[in-house]
Amino acid sequence: MNWRRASIAAAAAAPIIGLFAWGLTRDPNNIPSPLPGRAAPSFALAVFSPGQGGLMRPAGDTVRLADLKGKVVVLNFWASWCLACRDEHAALSQVAATYEGQPVQFLGVLYNDVPDKGRAWIAEMGGQSYPSVDDPGARVAIDYGLYGVPETFFLDGNGRVAFKNTGPVTPGMVRLKVDSLMAVAALQASAAQPAPAPRAPAKDRAGGPEKTGGAK
Amino acid sequence: MIRLIASNAILVALVVTALGAILTPVAILRGRRDWLSFSFAAVYTNFALVTVSTLALVWGLVSHDFSISYVAQVGSRATPTFYTIISLWGALEGSIVFWAWVLGMYAAAVVWFNRKREGNLVPYAAMALLLVALFFHILLLGPANPFQAVFPVPFDGPGPNPLLQNHILMGVHPPLLYLGYVGMTVPFAFAVGAMLSGEVASDDWIRLTRRWTLVAWGFLTAAIIAGMWWSYEVLGWGGYWAWDPVENASFIPWLTCTAYLHSVMVQERRGMLKLWNLNLMVGTFVLTILGTFLTRSGIISSVHAFTQGTIGYYFLGFIAVVLLSTLILVAGNSDKLGSEGKLDAPLSRETAFLLQNMFFTVFMFTVLIGTLFPLVAELVRGVKVSVGTPFFNKMSIPLMVALLFLMGVGPVLPWRKGAGPELKGKLTAGVVLGLLFGVVGLVMGARNAYAVLSFTFAGFALGANVGEFVRGANARVRAHGESWLVALSRLVAGNRRRFGGYVAHIGVVLVALGVTASGTFKKEQEATLTPGQSMTVSGHTVRFKNAWLREEKQRQVVGATMEIMDGTRVSATVEPRMNYYPTSQQPVPTPQVKSTWSGDIYLNLMAFKQDGSNVTVKVIWEPLVPWIWFGGFVICFGAILGILPTRREAAVASAPAGGTP
Amino acid sequence: MNKKTKWGALAAVGVLVIAFGWLIYGGLDSNVVYFLTPKELAAKGEKGFDVPVRLGGQVKPGSVKWDEKALDLSFAVTDGTGEIAVHSHGAPPQMFKDGQGVVVEGRYGRDLVFQSTSLMVKHSNEYKAPAKGERPAEMYKSLMKSQGT
Repeated sequence: MNWRRASIAAAAAAPIIGLFAWGLTRDPNNIPSPLPGRAAPSFALAVFSPGQGGLMRPAGDTVRLADLKGKVVVLNFWASWCLACRDEHAALSQVAATYEGQPVQFLGVLYNDVPDKGRAWIAEMGGQSYPSVDDPGARVAIDYGLYGVPETFFLDGNGRVAFKNTGPVTPGMVRLKVDSLMAVAALQASAAQPAPAPRAPAKDRAGGPEKTGGAK
Repeated sequence: MIRLIASNAILVALVVTALGAILTPVAILRGRRDWLSFSFAAVYTNFALVTVSTLALVWGLVSHDFSISYVAQVGSRATPTFYTIISLWGALEGSIVFWAWVLGMYAAAVVWFNRKREGNLVPYAAMALLLVALFFHILLLGPANPFQAVFPVPFDGPGPNPLLQNHILMGVHPPLLYLGYVGMTVPFAFAVGAMLSGEVASDDWIRLTRRWTLVAWGFLTAAIIAGMWWSYEVLGWGGYWAWDPVENASFIPWLTCTAYLHSVMVQERRGMLKLWNLNLMVGTFVLTILGTFLTRSGIISSVHAFTQGTIGYYFLGFIAVVLLSTLILVAGNSDKLGSEGKLDAPLSRETAFLLQNMFFTVFMFTVLIGTLFPLVAELVRGVKVSVGTPFFNKMSIPLMVALLFLMGVGPVLPWRKGAGPELKGKLTAGVVLGLLFGVVGLVMGARNAYAVLSFTFAGFALGANVGEFVRGANARVRAHGESWLVALSRLVAGNRRRFGGYVAHIGVVLVALGVTASGTFKKEQEATLTPGQSMTVSGHTVRFKNAWLREEKQRQVVGATMEIMDGTRVSATVEPRMNYYPTSQQPVPTPQVKSTWSGDIYLNLMAFKQDGSNVTVKVIWEPLVPWIWFGGFVICFGAILGILPTRREAAVASAPAGGTP
Repeated sequence: MNKKTKWGALAAVGVLVIAFGWLIYGGLDSNVVYFLTPKELAAKGEKGFDVPVRLGGQVKPGSVKWDEKALDLSFAVTDGTGEIAVHSHGAPPQMFKDGQGVVVEGRYGRDLVFQSTSLMVKHSNEYKAPAKGERPAEMYKSLMKSQGT
């Protein structure tokens, strides 16, 4: 064995492996959603599945985003025909139940489906702790730029989209997002009045040729 | 039940492969060669276990056992049985099972055919195969486990991806691809065995590997052509190659393997290029794994990439291990691989092979860089880009044209010494045919310089390669007084490898003609037609008769009956369709193709009025496209000729051209 | 191989590699397709015109005009803030509708219309939704046991 050549060859391979390792942390199909950091589109939808225990909302009640001000909102778009929704259902339902009595609103939004099938599905899956609303005509889904189900949006206390997840959620991820958003909300509340400075995302659409973003 | 059998079989196979792989070096280093029979037994046992597991999964699919996660994911009671069976490779987990099975089969075959060989090469090669198999078993028990329990058991599943149950070629293309892809593991394992056993400097192991490489190459070639065909028949855009990362992933190892098949002849004849060949052989395997990684990990955006998940990290680890260990092995052994001969004359067959290898390598790097560039651009500049077809076309068309030329020159050049006066005679047929093809191309309206050159060189290569058969047969007729056909068949039988190569060259010429003609003269038109209306594309008239809707078990079909006109007479009826599957957002276009020897009329239904009062159809005239598929068959026939054993195997290796006794 | 030829060979290889790199660089530079949102494309200003771009966003509701005789399709792509007018020739994909995520490939002209050469509906491969619209009601037939009535 010629170990000198061998080590040179091994060193040459390192950057290639590094490139792939870095690449794995990216998602090439992910068109960055325009929503995070922006005000969440408002909605007013009727509850068709009331949920359980302390999270219950009576069926027929209308949930308005405007009424949820100050609360962290977790919007989970789902459908009875969606297989991946089955994967996340139990975890999401359990996590939601642990936030009973706290300023968090979990909300299921039924996408391209009918409430009867949604209810039957919930029964089959052993219940859903939080209420679900129907989205006839997928109006709200379009506003939120849904690509498919399941997709889950996390809104902060100021009604802005803080985070969006495509595909099934994991309990740890939901806890992390909800806890950090609640902590931020608590901080803002304790800091008395100073209105949460909206970090104005450069709204210069007046055609200023300067001030270009990173894309060059 | 099925689930438990299948998943336990994999678990046992994992243990068996691990033990077998560890046992080999222990046995060799401690001098206990009798132990080696156990590691060979591990190879056979692994094959048996993976076969059980694969059959169990197929049985689970056919019997609609939705308690198996893979079946629940891709199965459906409404899907026809054929598509149910082939959905074995329709999604990630199943394709890994199939991969493991093909690998197990190759490993068992390698060990079986070489079990009596002396030395440590075969045991070490078996070890390498077992280690690769071990990796796939880890995948099957970890991130790509198809045998998870589903509870409650669903009554029915969504069925396979609609694109994959829309055409019969889906039953052909993936198995061929796996046979080709996985087959590249065999030469790699032999190379590792040769390096570990210290036999790498001898040419014996190269001869041992030749047929295996050719088998894998033949399958990979067939798979690429079948994949083009599938994409042409199913995707509805009228093309067959889009430089998509998934396509590139199969093409890149094909380039290095093709380079190897040629340059290895220089090593066998002249003892040159040993290190280079070893690199090509090992590199081909690394590139197959790299291609799998790129398409399975979701690292590169592609139309038909599989799901992403944690599997990418496993592949990354595997690539790291394979890349580092083989680079260290090859570089560490590079001292032993000095050249025995040297280039004697600039105009010799060696030079043609060297140039061919250089072009193929450049081609490989071009495609590889183009495929990986989006990743680099995002790392370096933080921008999302894609590398479009124009880049690949711009870079590859000159290379392909140059390679066509070499394909005509190589066979007529002699080994070693510079070309003599007999060269003129050998070139005549090629030059005449080349000029003819070039002029025909010009007359047909080709104005692009590369297109005209491509026609010319295709004709040149055709003349030169066919000329070899004609000259050889004529010589036999003169020498032995045989009839011409007998002379031809004996000529080929006498040196199957050489003439198999020329047959493959002729197949490549047919493919090149099809690609060039369809790229140059393709005409397409889209129109909205009411019943009875017709449209004409490139002299071919089609008339819209009516639109219809049909319920099928697993889907709904909307179709348009189109009549192809020959004057006022209807010469054929075709029905381009749109298939609606319940689980898919989008309908799956189902274009219909009417083939003639001179080209295809390609019809795709683009849109329709719901009351059937009009349809929008795209009609494409695709000249010579059937030649591509036919050329693919010819190439495979050439590969089979080269694989079949010859009567005078040993004599052939050193016999002069012509192979007459 | 003596020292001199070795260095000669190395130099030749070096020249070839540099030439190859230069060709690749040139090829990539002029043929790379940038993936941009309407806002990013508008922000590029002068540099955004007449270069190949993949524009990703959603079809702005109410902006779609489809002329089935002339096969002319025009619509606007929006990302919530920016908006770009797009024109394409040929029938739209079946799933094309208001609010749908799309990726259009083409060039942005100085007339502020994006001429599309290919139009793809962006849909997730994994989580599929049946579409509203043309599809008959039984296509919604659910797959699950509880609804298998």
